[in-house]
Amino acid sequence: MLRYVALRVLIALVLVWLVSTLVFLVLHLVPGDPAELLLSAGNTAPDPEAVAQLRSQMGLDRPVLAQYAAYIADLTHLDFGVSLRDQNPIAPELALRLPRTLELILAAAVIASLIGVPLGTLAAMRDGGWSEKLVSLLASAALSTPVFVVGTTLVLVFAQWLGWISAGGYVPLAEDPLRHLSLLAMPAVTIALPLTAVMIRMTRASVLEVLEKDHVRTARAKGLARGPIIRRHVVRNALVPVITVLGLEMGTLIGGTVLVEYVFNWPGLSGYLVRAVEARDYPEVVGIVLVISFLFVLLNLLIDITYAVLDPRVKLAK
Amino acid sequence: MTRAQRSLYIWLGLAAVLIAFPLLAPVLPLQPTIGMDIPHRFAGPSAANWLGNDEYGRDVLSRIIWGARASLAVAFGSAFCAAVIGTILGLLGGYFRGITEVLAVRSTEIVICLPPLLLAMLVITILGAGVLTLTVALTILFVPNYTRVVYAATLQTGGLDFVKAQEAMGTHPLKILARTVLPNIVPPLLVQFSLTVASGILLESGLSFLGLGVVPPAPSWGLMIRAARAAMDQQPLLLLWPSLALAGTVLLLNVICDRLQDVLSPKTAARGGAAWLRRQIKRTPDAPAPEVPLLKIEDLSVGVALEQGSMGLTKGIAFEVKPGETMALVGESGSGKTLTGLAMTGLLPNALSVTGGHAWFRTEAGVVDLAALTEEEFGPLRGNDISMVFQDAAAALNPVHRIGDQLAEIIQCHRPMPKQQAEAEVVELLRKVGIPDPERRIRAYPFELSGGQRQRAMIAMAVANAPKLLIADEPTTALDPTIQAQILRLFAKLKEDNPGMGVIFVTHNLAVVKEIATHVSVMYAGQVVEQGTVEEVFADPRHPYTKALLASVPESDAERLESIPGTVPQPGAMPEGCRFAPRCGHAAAACAAPQPLLDTGEGRTTRCLRWADLWKDVA
Repeated sequence: MLRYVALRVLIALVLVWLVSTLVFLVLHLVPGDPAELLLSAGNTAPDPEAVAQLRSQMGLDRPVLAQYAAYIADLTHLDFGVSLRDQNPIAPELALRLPRTLELILAAAVIASLIGVPLGTLAAMRDGGWSEKLVSLLASAALSTPVFVVGTTLVLVFAQWLGWISAGGYVPLAEDPLRHLSLLAMPAVTIALPLTAVMIRMTRASVLEVLEKDHVRTARAKGLARGPIIRRHVVRNALVPVITVLGLEMGTLIGGTVLVEYVFNWPGLSGYLVRAVEARDYPEVVGIVLVISFLFVLLNLLIDITYAVLDPRVKLAK
Repeated sequence: MTRAQRSLYIWLGLAAVLIAFPLLAPVLPLQPTIGMDIPHRFAGPSAANWLGNDEYGRDVLSRIIWGARASLAVAFGSAFCAAVIGTILGLLGGYFRGITEVLAVRSTEIVICLPPLLLAMLVITILGAGVLTLTVALTILFVPNYTRVVYAATLQTGGLDFVKAQEAMGTHPLKILARTVLPNIVPPLLVQFSLTVASGILLESGLSFLGLGVVPPAPSWGLMIRAARAAMDQQPLLLLWPSLALAGTVLLLNVICDRLQDVLSPKTAARGGAAWLRRQIKRTPDAPAPEVPLLKIEDLSVGVALEQGSMGLTKGIAFEVKPGETMALVGESGSGKTLTGLAMTGLLPNALSVTGGHAWFRTEAGVVDLAALTEEEFGPLRGNDISMVFQDAAAALNPVHRIGDQLAEIIQCHRPMPKQQAEAEVVELLRKVGIPDPERRIRAYPFELSGGQRQRAMIAMAVANAPKLLIADEPTTALDPTIQAQILRLFAKLKEDNPGMGVIFVTHNLAVVKEIATHVSVMYAGQVVEQGTVEEVFADPRHPYTKALLASVPESDAERLESIPGTVPQPGAMPEGCRFAPRCGHAAAACAAPQPLLDTGEGRTTRCLRWADLWKDVA
């Protein structure tokens, strides 16, 4: 187990490095002068003086390799540079906002797992019945409705019409726990919705497959009741592929937070990102994209480890 | 045309009709999408403006149709560009391997490490918002998906014989790729294409919603939802129309993708899930229970339910097992011996069921008919009174649970006891079946044991509650000969420890029968053809099939090893009369009629009507 985890951590670190390099390269691979591109809007040529200033500010006037070395060196100290807009260092802002986004993602993953796994199992057990058809239909609908449509509709119904919850905002947990949770509810549910649909579909397919396995017949031959068979010998085994999909969907999930934080005014990384992109503040965008990508890699690492805990055979494989 | 194909064409037709509107937008009599009409701000639906007017008084319907053009252009454009680039990279990487593979396939996979929306935002920061930027960003995003799919398919196709043959003939690699490999990877490409178009529409509308995509005043669904959100307390309907258009389009694409997959890889598995999970109607016995010492099978038949009615697989199986006896069910594969074993425990596969007959079994509470029990009623019997050993222990044990836990489960299920006590019992059991170092082995997972040890663990599980009847389904077939012998000795030893236990031993191996069984039922094509004690049946077979079977075994005393001519008839094409007649050298006119199981005295039976003329004088 220790060797397996060590290997996974190593792979994660390599991924972090690769992603950082890719993000660095994007700016330099785009044809044209980066500073000019960043300052151009529409067809008007940017002011040459501003271009020169931006170039020295971002260090673009140095050789590319030197820029890369400095960039990586800064990253190892978690130094993400300063914002172009107000010259404030970016790292503290990231540190402040990261936990809020993380909270949203985890809440959504928990909601999706708690609803998706039982419903998917039910759909598989009642395959072909009306309850399976209903669940599958709901899953298809949830998967096809964009998160910002769902979010906006929730605001319209629960905040505008019914007046049950505020339309959005954020209060720190320590300040007012109840209000914090009530503000968390809508964005978390919104992000969870498409993920729940994916979990339902995956769990259903996986459970159907496991039900055909010989070891389920053995469990029946032991005289176990339906409940223990489903819990210990079907769902437990079916979870392994579902966890993998959860990992693959993490990207969409994190992408979803960008839209949802915007809809609900949740002051996480993503609202910050939207403003940074609007202002075309490249260092800020890079910082946020990197942090979210690292988070993505970290979540996948956690999933790999969960995977090994669920299926002991995984530890042996490379 | 299959049902799946028809369904796909219907959905494709619907999509074509819907796509026609935005394509024809310039020639349709639509109102302008840009000019303002302040007096009609937020007007509801009317004859002139079917879906009403927006916050600038513009016609919503025409903005939705024009907005679709932006979504579709970005989604189809990027999906197409990505398909072309990704396919080329995937083909090259999958076909040439080596360094090309690293450059073409592995390098693109780094993109997958970035959440999709973020990479798009990175590109937008550099290039500025707009339709062209979006298309570029989404193309970069989608390339790795295609590369992966095409790469995997190319690896598969590249290994096929006809590709190897072309290589051997010296065809140019690029020609092979274009002519042979490419057509074979079209199906996964089509599925990927419909997926990326749906995802492209979602991403475009999402970015436009954030104000980072299509630039106003050009219409786009995402922008319309963004505007409607600001004005939703004044006119909620404005939110409804673009949301419906957007969700409907994505749903349509997802449905097409599902149907496409149905057509390309038809599901062979029967729908309906596991039969044992459905509610079962309790059957009332149609015959009074007879007095039986342990087990008496009467006229038991198993059939498979098909669309055109049921088809018989085994017919009229009958035999008896008394306490302490070992009955061997022997016959070729497909003779129905395993089905008979499973029918007695209610563990038949999904589509199969008992279609007639009884399996009377003595329990503490009296005699029950195993053929009529529901899943619930079976619970207390299985693993306790009747237990099974399966052929493939590697598959029959749950791979994710420790051996000890799987064994403790069967003990605690029938005899509730604390965990430690159950564990101590498990250690004893494992020691009894000859697994070395049982204290440590209980912590092992099935994959950590050898094949022989797994089968021993399986047997330990079966005898954990000292069953009255043990059904062993080819327990030694998957093992190599030395282990086989050890397992057979283990069965003999368990029998000594529990002399009252009846055993049904399913096997195709006559040598095993001779070693382990007291009685034998020879099965052929779903019927029992001969029964008796092992000694007598082996010495004096009374059915031509048994005789032929004995003669075809190397261990037999026959001078020459003989094979039986012909093949076992298929279920559904069974001969009316004696099922062995087509392969029998002694078949007579009377064999064309259905044959009953004849009592030949000394407790023996045969399904051959000619047994007397053929062998009486010999016996």
